[in-house]
Amino acid sequence: MFSPAVLGQVFVDGIGLSAIYILIALGFTLLFGIMRVVNFAHGAFAMLGGYALYYLYGGLGLPYLIAAPAAALIVATVALVLERVVYRFFYQRMFQSMIGLLGLDMAIMYLAVIAWNAEERSVPPSTDALLHMGSLVFPAQKLIIAAIAAIALLAFYVFTHYSRYGLAMRAAAQDVDIAEAQGVNSTAIYRLAFFIAIFMAALAGGFYAQTYALSPFVGEPQLMIAFIVVILGGMGSIPGVALGGLLLGFANSFLGTFYGSATSIFVSFGAVILLLIFRPWGLLGVKEA
Amino acid sequence: MSKPSTLDSTLPPRFASQPTAHAGTVRTPRRWLAHPAVVAVVIALLIALPFFAQDKFVLSVAVTTFITAIAACALHLIVRTGHVSLGHAAFMGIGAYVSAIATMNFGLPFPVAVCLAFLVPAALALVVGPILLRLTGKYFVLVTLLFGEIVRTAFVNWTDVTGGSTGISGVPAPSPFFSGAVPFYYLALGFAIVIIGIIGRLLASETGRVIDSIREGEALARCSGVPVLATKVAVFMLGCGIVGVAGALQAHFVRYIDPTSFALEQSLNLVVINVIGGMYTLIGPIVGTLFLVLLPEFLRGYVELQHVFFGIVLILVMAFFSGGIADAGALLKRIGAGRGGAR
Amino acid sequence: MSTPLLQIDKLSKQFGGLAAVSDLTFHVNEHEILGIIGPNGAGKTTAINLVSGVIRPGGGHVRLEGEEVTGLLPHVLARKGLVRTFQSTTVYGARTVYENAVRGAYLGLYPGATAAFFNTRRARAMRAESERRVGELLEWLNLADVAALEAGSLPYGYQKTLGMVITLAARPRIVMLDEPVAGLSAEEADHVRDTILKIRERGITVIVIDHNIRFMKGLCDRVMVMNQGHELTTGAPLDVLANPKVIEAYLGRGHAAAHRI
Repeated sequence: MFSPAVLGQVFVDGIGLSAIYILIALGFTLLFGIMRVVNFAHGAFAMLGGYALYYLYGGLGLPYLIAAPAAALIVATVALVLERVVYRFFYQRMFQSMIGLLGLDMAIMYLAVIAWNAEERSVPPSTDALLHMGSLVFPAQKLIIAAIAAIALLAFYVFTHYSRYGLAMRAAAQDVDIAEAQGVNSTAIYRLAFFIAIFMAALAGGFYAQTYALSPFVGEPQLMIAFIVVILGGMGSIPGVALGGLLLGFANSFLGTFYGSATSIFVSFGAVILLLIFRPWGLLGVKEA
Repeated sequence: MSKPSTLDSTLPPRFASQPTAHAGTVRTPRRWLAHPAVVAVVIALLIALPFFAQDKFVLSVAVTTFITAIAACALHLIVRTGHVSLGHAAFMGIGAYVSAIATMNFGLPFPVAVCLAFLVPAALALVVGPILLRLTGKYFVLVTLLFGEIVRTAFVNWTDVTGGSTGISGVPAPSPFFSGAVPFYYLALGFAIVIIGIIGRLLASETGRVIDSIREGEALARCSGVPVLATKVAVFMLGCGIVGVAGALQAHFVRYIDPTSFALEQSLNLVVINVIGGMYTLIGPIVGTLFLVLLPEFLRGYVELQHVFFGIVLILVMAFFSGGIADAGALLKRIGAGRGGAR
Repeated sequence: MSTPLLQIDKLSKQFGGLAAVSDLTFHVNEHEILGIIGPNGAGKTTAINLVSGVIRPGGGHVRLEGEEVTGLLPHVLARKGLVRTFQSTTVYGARTVYENAVRGAYLGLYPGATAAFFNTRRARAMRAESERRVGELLEWLNLADVAALEAGSLPYGYQKTLGMVITLAARPRIVMLDEPVAGLSAEEADHVRDTILKIRERGITVIVIDHNIRFMKGLCDRVMVMNQGHELTTGAPLDVLANPKVIEAYLGRGHAAAHRI
């Protein structure tokens, strides 16, 4: 059962999954770290990203490398309206954000049902090509997804460490009041962080739709994934997201292949519960005072 | 200027006669709703209902309302200790399955099955409670959410016991007498009155004061001698046991157990009912249940729109009315007093 | 010499690599007012947290009247007569002063869930007794006039006093006060000092932690100075404050000769 070929497959799947997981979770942790908002509607934006890709790539036939980022851009831009109208009222109010955004999640989800009905669709992969490496055979699509995700993450890292706005964002994540006192425009930073977060969620949602399926309800498992990754890595910790995403991606790939998806869920949820009990600040997070 | 508290019930006579900043008595809506006369009238109306409305649909909606109210009030107990559980429906489901299996596979009579539907979730609560209840605020919400998902996955995958995703069908009525719509209505109403009455009495007694002190100042309570964790676990057990009973009622009413009806959506409904109605007063979940039940009626036939509307209401309530509907009246009064009154 | 009411031996606690409290040894005699002072980071708050059961000690012993109580939870200690106030959560802000005080009387007030539920005779008797006791407590400490007001809306000094009332309602033998005058004006601090002296008059032993040296000087029978997690010296306030080692701990080397407090 544990032959090299299968293990290789599991490894590649793991990379593909990790890429998607990290992208989704990054936005989630950004919103928590900076605005102290638990974005229960995060999955909904991923779902919308899937539909955007469906129309841009599957419908209009735009080249993949343009369609994927464009889809995410569209969703993030439209979402800015929601930032003004909904999210603004929940900044720094964690409990209210949980329930209120769960409401937003529900509203978006069922508007999607009205718009597109509950049927499952599929988004075609960017390429059907298969790559051969030794005895391994895997779809090139997975590698492309991983590559795009890596670029997005790299861009994010460079942005937050080397650009003025990025540094301002990190300052706000540490302490909003002090950052404001130093001249950081928190409203602008919040908006920027929100845009980036939703962009990544939508991007990941497109990949997810290609990997699995597309329906208005496909955001829910993605929300769970974001949760688990963020809790594993530590709420508000960016490196934690990378670590958590890799852990979960490979764990799901391994467990899912050999033991079925139910086991995969049990183990990952169980691990997270244990972590929350004994080390709630995650593997790389900071213990709150 | 110092203000008098609107939260406390009675002061001993020697302190009650003091001059306070508010000249008139502040009668918050929930105080008014809980007045014995109002309660008696409501109960009388509910008892009389089947005489006016023999319509099966109306009775069915009423029964669902009673069951949901019981479940919401059970969650309310836990919320009063300061812990919001997003996994409460899981315990409800456990009660449902236990009762169904007890009556169908073991031939036990309904009363025994209901007792088991209380005991099994309560026992599980006793096992996980001491661990989970050490977690604070947001972590508790997240853990209970995940716990609920694990239980739901178990419901769906433990096919031998739970029937898997198809659930259990053919759950019997509590007894031949209660298989009719009207008799079951009275059974559910009876359960609701007794259970909610017990919860109300518990919260109004000294125990309620202890629970509130735990929520409002855990460290203070602890150093005054309150065994905080033990009390929280006891309340958690009670809340989970009661919601198990609600689950059993639902199973024997609908005569069918669908595992997806005890998932996150239902847990969220119960939380929302508490939040919308008012988290820290028992009237809250009752008002909230009515709200949750009546709302779909306005948009009957448009299930998706119901959900959208519901979601929007949630956003509005959490953004502007954190205290819940029951407190909205007091909130408005305070705003009005703040503008015109002496300050 | 009779046994001290509270005996602390070699109490220690590490946080990560940092020894917040190490080998702390001191005692408190019955009916005395012991002050604990020390520069920031000396470990005073950790020490009181260890003794009151809020944190579990890494090592050492705490004995109350000779009985081993190390590491017991706060509510168990309260039952044994050891209570404390808190620096941050002083009171139940949204409740009346009266309600605050009554909540402190949990031990004498709560008859158990069943008795409370059925409002038995015993429950009623306990409530009547506690209400009487609380009423008398409020009168004695001059809070009767504000009993119906919301605790959070009171001036800070009153809130601190209310915090003490909450502990007194539990009928303790020994009370630990965590920075009772932090943030108060000199006048308010004097009022708190008088209150603490009254408390002692009732036979209750008091441990006070604070930074306000003038306040401590006028109040405590003995003062213990902590520094870097252990006891530096203990004695009468004036002696302790003139001790060069103490001055050095607060102000650094070189100041000892140049200063007299």
